[in-house]
Amino acid sequence: MKLDRREFIKQAAIGSALATAGSLFPGISFGSWNRLAGGPGVLAWQKTPCRFCGTGCGLLVGVSDGRAVAVKGDPNCTVNKGLCCMKGYHSVQALYGRDRITTAKVRKNGTLVEVPISEALNLVAEKLKETRDTYGKDSVAMYGSGQWTIPDGYVASKLFKGCLGTNNVEANARLCMASAVTGFMTSFGLDEPMGCYEDIDHADVFVTWGNNMAEMHPVLFSRMLSNRKRRAGVKIIDFATRFTRTSQAADKTIIFKPQTDLAVANSICYEIIKNNWVNDNFVNEHVSFHKGKTNIGYGTEDHFTFSDSAETIDFEAFKLFLEDYTPEKVEKISGVPAEEIKYLASLYGNPSLKVTSFWCMGMNQHTRGTWINNLVYNIHLLVGKISTPGNSPFSLTGQPSACGTVREVGTLTHKLPHGVVMNENDRQMAAEIWQVPVENIDPKPSYHTVEMFRALDRGDIKFMWIQVTNPMVTMPNLRRYRDGALKDDRFVVVSDVYPTPTTDVADVILPAAMWIEQEGMFGNSERRTQHFAQIVDPPGEAMSDTWQIIEVAKRLGFEKQFPWSQDNYIEPIWEEYRRFHTGPKHEMAPYTVLAERSGVQWPFVDGRETRWRYNPAYDPACKNDKDFDFYGKKDNRAWIWARPYEPAAESPDEEYNFWLNTGRVIEHWHTGSMTRRVPVLHNAVPSSYVEIHPEDAADLGVVNGELVKIISRRGELTMPAQINGRGVPVRGMVFVPFFDESYLINEVTLDAFCPISKQPDYKKCAVRLEKA
Amino acid sequence: MMKTHAHHSRGAPLSLLVVSLLLPLATLLGGAATATASDVPDNFDNQGKKLFTAQQRTPTANLSADSGGRTLAEFYALRQYPGSPPRIPHVVDLAFSGNETDCLSCHGKGGYSTEFDAFAPVTPHPENVLCTQCHAQTKTGEPFVETDWVSIAAPKLGLSFLGSSPPPIPHSLQLRENCIACHTGPGAVVEIRIDHASRGDCRQCHAAVPQSQPLTEFTRK
Repeated sequence: MKLDRREFIKQAAIGSALATAGSLFPGISFGSWNRLAGGPGVLAWQKTPCRFCGTGCGLLVGVSDGRAVAVKGDPNCTVNKGLCCMKGYHSVQALYGRDRITTAKVRKNGTLVEVPISEALNLVAEKLKETRDTYGKDSVAMYGSGQWTIPDGYVASKLFKGCLGTNNVEANARLCMASAVTGFMTSFGLDEPMGCYEDIDHADVFVTWGNNMAEMHPVLFSRMLSNRKRRAGVKIIDFATRFTRTSQAADKTIIFKPQTDLAVANSICYEIIKNNWVNDNFVNEHVSFHKGKTNIGYGTEDHFTFSDSAETIDFEAFKLFLEDYTPEKVEKISGVPAEEIKYLASLYGNPSLKVTSFWCMGMNQHTRGTWINNLVYNIHLLVGKISTPGNSPFSLTGQPSACGTVREVGTLTHKLPHGVVMNENDRQMAAEIWQVPVENIDPKPSYHTVEMFRALDRGDIKFMWIQVTNPMVTMPNLRRYRDGALKDDRFVVVSDVYPTPTTDVADVILPAAMWIEQEGMFGNSERRTQHFAQIVDPPGEAMSDTWQIIEVAKRLGFEKQFPWSQDNYIEPIWEEYRRFHTGPKHEMAPYTVLAERSGVQWPFVDGRETRWRYNPAYDPACKNDKDFDFYGKKDNRAWIWARPYEPAAESPDEEYNFWLNTGRVIEHWHTGSMTRRVPVLHNAVPSSYVEIHPEDAADLGVVNGELVKIISRRGELTMPAQINGRGVPVRGMVFVPFFDESYLINEVTLDAFCPISKQPDYKKCAVRLEKA
Repeated sequence: MMKTHAHHSRGAPLSLLVVSLLLPLATLLGGAATATASDVPDNFDNQGKKLFTAQQRTPTANLSADSGGRTLAEFYALRQYPGSPPRIPHVVDLAFSGNETDCLSCHGKGGYSTEFDAFAPVTPHPENVLCTQCHAQTKTGEPFVETDWVSIAAPKLGLSFLGSSPPPIPHSLQLRENCIACHTGPGAVVEIRIDHASRGDCRQCHAAVPQSQPLTEFTRK
């Protein structure tokens, strides 16, 4: 009965001979890239951190004939152990987009005209001086980025805060992790995670809090999957407002209504206490209880101010506070069944399970972002699951140096490289290291990011220098801030690598060296500082952001503070900066060590990296002879905060009946100014769309690809519907990726922010939909 | 709100088992209770859940095992164009049990067949149980009349955008959502078999860029 298999294949092969002889595809350009003429074909591999997210994967960049031509994962880097994601593997292609900015441009009579970069830098220095002389020191501002290298941010802070005497230094990381900072500061007194990525190899349970890690931190996510495959019993719980690729991989998805994570977190604490899962020894020894102000507002009005005040309470008062958050009550607020809340609590409460919580923008871009950060720490603190391998409340970052440059260097209005401008000792230290009179450093913070762009619109700020970021795509309530930037007597300088909607509003465009076209350092999510050498030359007159600032500083007469030569400036800047962090709590590795290794974790003490802080088995700063030392707070304790549920700044109502949520896709990073110029990534997701639940789409009468108009109180946008695509929002919510400058979704979003962190909420505002 | 799919009801007892082994407390508290609002829909992101489920359930050994017994030439020889349902290359005795889904006894999970002295290829879409709806049997090798049919060429392999970068997914994912099924294990075609599937998330590195679509470049409007 058997037909001989080999015989059969042979016959079939003859039948389809025509098929295999078929013609090639028209229009395909695979493999047709320009080959290096005369290239030796031999690669030199050089280490660098990836240019994109805050994971900080180690890459090896292959160089041939002076060009970056290939990427592989760096096996020596413990972050990714030789693996990358699709963005990392193709990252070097982002250097070679055809519309790269290679010369300076100056707006003359409304038109951008190419000029030598020295002439443009002259103009920047002149305009800065003239504006400052005419309108005062706080009329000029620097707006930087979590993609600034550490030296970029350091010289920006030194010039503006130290020399020019204004605290008008902010960075786009205000939009991405300010709530993480205020969460750490209020709960622990020191910024940045206590744990590290190695927690992934120890945890039994992962809870992702509003965090689509499968797309946003893919390398860490696949490390979780690989652990789940290898070790019995590992579970991933996706706690989310929308179904994503992470939901597909998770063992369980629990959907909550936007903003109600506050109530669910409190309810988990309620259950932990009710079931006697509290780690009494830990709480008695290492925790104190506090409450702050309530009904704290949303910051949507100009000149909004808020400062919290902490009141110490006791455990009994905290228990009383939690009485409002029984699972049954919270089910009504959150839509999460009481049983699911109890289940989550049981995972945190089970003493035999190690639990790691991950979060990123879902908790940080939140009008109660500081609070929800506090509340997740509360959970870990009640059960003592912290600062030990696998037990980790872990705040992820979205940019390669949000931690390294913005949080550690302190490129925020209230910050200094060590401490805050409000503190006299911190000002003293900065003045000494910077060699400026201490009176130069203003003790009063000026504008946080949203207020800084409002000040630009109002005219309080007349000069703004923007580096390595694209606020004319990313500012919420965008129309106001673009109109403001375009006003007649505003002078906007933009340093960037490609034309963007932000260079469109510039009066001067400075061509910037990108990533490995300069030497620098990034700092990733797990306190790891990562050095990269200059691997290829920048194109045309492109110059590092650090050196642009130094050139302007010299023109303003600050040669003494910026004495370095263009041949060697990164090493001396690093060694000067490192003085701010002397001591076991934040000691940074010397330049020579950074240059050799694929990243070094701080505190770096006596040649050793610190993987888990506050734990004396790993952290040399612990001094109290106990099993933990939370030395960030004066009472040597971690703080549990009673923080209530309060609603979002704007929720769906009869007129605007949908939630609008915004975010990313795996292919594109932020505003796409780099990833859209990488062919494979652009081809995979060429344009943005609005995700709609299939039933909502049916009610609206639209099918996949048909146009939908999204209308808010700020603006409207018409774009194609995507149904059952990359993600599926719940009914009553739409989701829009923000990478596409042709669909500026931030003209629709709301500029409400967390009153403590001043970080805007891009995940929640109210819209209505029309079929377009 | 979401319909509970057969896929989930099959999955539930397994996850219940895992939960009850590891988390007796959780189970007592109703940890395995179903919350209809949170049931993840099946049909989005190219049914990516299949991929993660397959990665989790396929024994580690099977993710990397190789037999070398099947080549790409043989694979395409059974197809009229890239992506067409392959013909059934062996005799099917429908009287065997009278049950159409018997195909899945070999092609559901794969494994060695003594009858064919080969490892069975694994179907990426076992939920479509009426196999012979698409997969035709071959009773004769002779054409009725000759045909002038021509096909496009099969996707080229190894077309990375950079030396050392992971090649994009060159084919449509419809009905081929589960990468694990065709690209891992001893039944896989040797030219497209990989052995790093334990990493878990294929589409972390491999972007979907079907070769049958023209490549375009980003330009500012």
